[in-house]
Amino acid sequence: MSQILSVVLNIALAVHVALIAVCVWRVWRGENVIDRLIGADLVGTLMLAVLVLLALILVNATYIDVATGLAALGFVSTIALAKYIADQQMF
Amino acid sequence: MQTLLQLIAILAVILGTVFSVLGVLGFIRLPDVYTRLHATGKVSIFGVVLLLLATVMLTPLGFGKGLVLIALLVIGGPATSHAIGSAAHRIGIPMKRAIRDDLGALEQNQAGE
Repeated sequence: MSQILSVVLNIALAVHVALIAVCVWRVWRGENVIDRLIGADLVGTLMLAVLVLLALILVNATYIDVATGLAALGFVSTIALAKYIADQQMF
Repeated sequence: MQTLLQLIAILAVILGTVFSVLGVLGFIRLPDVYTRLHATGKVSIFGVVLLLLATVMLTPLGFGKGLVLIALLVIGGPATSHAIGSAAHRIGIPMKRAIRDDLGALEQNQAGE
């Protein structure tokens, strides 16, 4: 059973890294500024998924702390960027 | 007991990956900004939370840390989507094939007063 688990985890990791590449290409080609913001937020979320998968593969809980930090920073930065785009000035 | 937990973890990882793929597929294929927001919101909620469910299942890993991260994501995800959606509406991004525009109607009422 644990052999199947490690195979599934590695496949999931490869799929998520491919998804990140697709998202970065989409952000590069984004039509308007909101698309790029959504793409950047999506890359942050997928990076979170990769970190959690690493925590599972290497059986090391510190990766989940890194993922928590990334989730908090990604959340704050996306909202700050959205506010900056909406009001055209920061404060 | 251990194999049962690993079985649930395998199912959770597979389902989480399926949701991530669907979310990114929606982000690429959907016509306008607001529908794309709808798709990407799913990735952060279902994709990563199901992966974290797998960490909660495998007990040697910090399952308390996993629960904290699940709570953060479930609270933070919708907030970011709402912030991006209202920002997109405020700078006037058009909606394709929109039937109702509640925020637009609300702003017209306020402008009318």
